[in-house]
Amino acid sequence: MSGGEGSKALGPILRDVKGAHITSTRPRRSRVDLPADALPALLELLKGRAGFVHLSAISCVDWMDDGQFELVYHVWSYEMSMMVSAHIRIPREPGVYLSVYDLYHPAAFFERDIHEMYGLYFEGSPDMEKFILTEWDGPPPMRKDFDSEAWVNDHFDWQDYRPEWLQELEEDGGGIAIRPDEQRFSRRK
Amino acid sequence: MKEIQQIPVAQASRTNPFARVFDELTAFCRSRSMFMLHYCTGCGAIELPPAMTSRFDMERLGIQPMVSPRQADILLITGYVSVKTLKRVILTYEQMASPKYVIGICSCTVNGGMYWQSYATAKKLNDYMPVDMYIAGCMPRPEAVIEGLRGLMERVRTGEANGWEDYYRRYDYYLGHQQRLFGEAWQTPTNVIQEAEHYGLAGPETEGEHTALLRQHQQPLEPLEMRIGLKERV
Repeated sequence: MSGGEGSKALGPILRDVKGAHITSTRPRRSRVDLPADALPALLELLKGRAGFVHLSAISCVDWMDDGQFELVYHVWSYEMSMMVSAHIRIPREPGVYLSVYDLYHPAAFFERDIHEMYGLYFEGSPDMEKFILTEWDGPPPMRKDFDSEAWVNDHFDWQDYRPEWLQELEEDGGGIAIRPDEQRFSRRK
Repeated sequence: MKEIQQIPVAQASRTNPFARVFDELTAFCRSRSMFMLHYCTGCGAIELPPAMTSRFDMERLGIQPMVSPRQADILLITGYVSVKTLKRVILTYEQMASPKYVIGICSCTVNGGMYWQSYATAKKLNDYMPVDMYIAGCMPRPEAVIEGLRGLMERVRTGEANGWEDYYRRYDYYLGHQQRLFGEAWQTPTNVIQEAEHYGLAGPETEGEHTALLRQHQQPLEPLEMRIGLKERV
């Protein structure tokens, strides 16, 4: 099945979803942009009418400058051999969205992960406890406003490495051109 | 400090002139039977199987892997230690019987390596536990690993590898760094201060403000809760 055909097949199914915009990105791969409140309807239609039974992943993108989070739901149909990525944008504050756990059970894991890494909260998700960062007490580390380097400099120490041979080189005018502490991105400003 | 250590001092408690012979023999034997703990923290561990098996054959040097910390002499920290792993590494290190040695393999243990920017990776291993030997590289070849282990053997034979004594002597220093990372309530099941007294290594730096803080927070240890089956969903 070519990509065009895939999108055409999706067209009638998604006619009922308000504001859904389908683009065919590659053969057997389509992108649907839609308003956030229409997503459950879209997923329900995809799952019920087109056999998109496999939720591959939910990914999250932090658009800090727009004040938005982008959530991407990747669903796969074994019958059509086709992947649909549904993109929605939700406001960054307060960062709350609905869980799709009732439709796709694997969503619980992805939502838990996003909650941990981005601080988003999914209403109705069965478990919003910490998963990987069980001993983490800082801000959600995948948010764009989390400065990883500042955190590192705040919490860890660096080993000083100034061996004699390097000092000799430096006395002769050689040595490291850009010192590591000047190289660090967070200190560049 | 080194000069002071080199001055020969007659030990009053030892009258047997051959006592040192046995000390040397013990140190020699110790250096020729190194059991390393089978606890691989990071990606550098992948260099150990080739170092252990037929081509490089570590066992001809008397070095062999050991599964439990109670029987092990060397703790290899192979690669990055995340904060979460570091806790377990410290627990493991404290469970090992003295004398014990730590080898930091790969650049990550020296200064964070390629994870220098990562919020989750501890940078300087010797802040948290005494490291007897660093083998730098990303990753070091089995030759380098064996070279490093031979270096440690030599240091054990001559009695220079005494990082474990340092851990008892300056426990407050190490505990301070651990508390900085893990929080004030950090405690291990091992009573290090009592062990330091047992080995006769408790000095002025064993206890301090950090151990005082530990005493304040220390809870009696309880067995871990065991649960069969999954947590019930509400």
